[in-house]
Amino acid sequence: MIPNLKTNEKKLIKMSIGGYVTQPSFKNPGYIPDNDGNSVILPGMYGVVNNVKVGDKAFGWNGDHIEPGVSIDSENINEHFALHYLVCTGNKAIVRSGEAKGKTGIVTGEHARNLIHFEQNILEKICVGDQIDIITHGRGLKLLDFPEIEIKKIDPNLLKSMNFKVENKKLIVDVAIELPIKIMGSGAELNSEYVDQDLMSGDRSLMKKLKIDQMKLGDLIVINHADHRWGRSYKKDHVSIALCIHGDSVMTGHGPGIMTIMTGTKKTLGWRINKKANLKNILKIKL
Amino acid sequence: MKIETNEKLLVNVSVVGSVCQPNFQSLPAEPYRLDSNGSPFLLPSWGSIVHNVSIGDSAFGWEADCIHPGVSIKYPNEAGNRGLNILSCVGNDATIMSGEAKNAKGIVTGKSGRFSEQVIVHFPKKIREKISINDKILIKSFGVGLKINNFKDVFCKSLSPQLFNKMNIKNKNNKMIIPVTHIIPEHLIGAGSGLTSESGSLHIQTTDSSEMTKYKLDKLKLGDIIYIENYDSSYQHGFLRNAWAVGIIGQTNGPRAGYGPGITILMSSKKNNAKAKLESSANIINYIKFIK
Repeated sequence: MIPNLKTNEKKLIKMSIGGYVTQPSFKNPGYIPDNDGNSVILPGMYGVVNNVKVGDKAFGWNGDHIEPGVSIDSENINEHFALHYLVCTGNKAIVRSGEAKGKTGIVTGEHARNLIHFEQNILEKICVGDQIDIITHGRGLKLLDFPEIEIKKIDPNLLKSMNFKVENKKLIVDVAIELPIKIMGSGAELNSEYVDQDLMSGDRSLMKKLKIDQMKLGDLIVINHADHRWGRSYKKDHVSIALCIHGDSVMTGHGPGIMTIMTGTKKTLGWRINKKANLKNILKIKL
Repeated sequence: MKIETNEKLLVNVSVVGSVCQPNFQSLPAEPYRLDSNGSPFLLPSWGSIVHNVSIGDSAFGWEADCIHPGVSIKYPNEAGNRGLNILSCVGNDATIMSGEAKNAKGIVTGKSGRFSEQVIVHFPKKIREKISINDKILIKSFGVGLKINNFKDVFCKSLSPQLFNKMNIKNKNNKMIIPVTHIIPEHLIGAGSGLTSESGSLHIQTTDSSEMTKYKLDKLKLGDIIYIENYDSSYQHGFLRNAWAVGIIGQTNGPRAGYGPGITILMSSKKNNAKAKLESSANIINYIKFIK
């Protein structure tokens, strides 16, 4: 953390938005094909996940695209997009209805829905359909001394809690793992303000060799030669910093998801490997 | 000379709206809007509960696109929303009817225009976190039909007697002398022209920053009462020589061409029967009791 890292935080808007706790859902007949073509049925995506949390492993669960904690969304399509464009990781969440009414949680990322962490005793009181409001804060956040670096969807408090150092006018960010650009898959078709991009975990021996299979939910990661300004594409000497937000997948072209939080060029943005660079430690999240 | 109105003949009607969500257009459209130079941007926009911007704050400098200070409400169906939008008047009392902040009191401070059509309500900052999306807010609407004695050619719009009576307007030689913070030339009026003046908003154009400095418009605050020259909002908004309109700054500046700070029109006339008097204190926060 650099105490004198200058931002435009005071100009940002704090705006509420509501979402609703989602229900797990399947498409008929329920099977999905794994990398070898076998049909499997696994829990994953949507709902309240009681036993997988930020800081837990991203690989090895008997699940597909597991979203830790509570996943919220709105069935109104325009509200769905507003949830995706305004909610920032690290934002405060307040339960507005049901048994857990008034309890607070914290946004831990964005997949096809917004993901929120609540402490275990609160989690068990949350019901599908409950309304959860997020106090969004972070859209438009800028690093004033690094105008070339774009910040995406993080709460100013999360930015301030991350570990940085400045070397030769270059911002060095602590990350847990480096991902090679060639394994970046599903999500390349979306604009980079929306949802996430999966790393492709199908080459299991490579995952093991590069120790990517030790990745944790909430890990900060870096992808070299990735430009995430307007989409997610290969561009030499561009650097993107992201956050691991959901668990592994058995489907080809899929794997744990990462959502972009910073993107720039190697001239101004660098990284340092630090295994502790995980959201759970940065935000001091209580389980 | 003191100015009197037909206040005692007005009808006080309850209207209700729900705290509304921010909205964005769906895929495959990109989320970006274009700024006045053609560059894409993505920033918070109208609607919802805005926790850190209030009436009295600057209308410029926020990382936002025409943000509404405080709380924005809407009625779910279109006809009902027209009722809410037309009958609510700036200065009317609002009460939260459901949720954790139930019974809290607020004040209507403005309206928003085409594509959003919301009513903007001030509530104290410290209770905003208790307000939930979808909470019901009731407005005791009072003001539609307001007429000013001896000024039959002046149309009052979205203007409550609560506000009008405090605006220090005087009658001098059959001209209304209206205290305002700024005078805006008609060429700087943008989005909203051609639309109804009974609800909605009219926006200042802020792309030319040298004009902003020239007319000191970059110093505008939310809640400022302003005067527009050569502009007629009697029925709809449009240019007319010697006409005038007075309004309140309801929402902040934004990067889009034509979409600077929004104005909710309060009064207008085709006749040359008013004069603006520049006073920096002509802001609703100095006229109506607000809890910050």
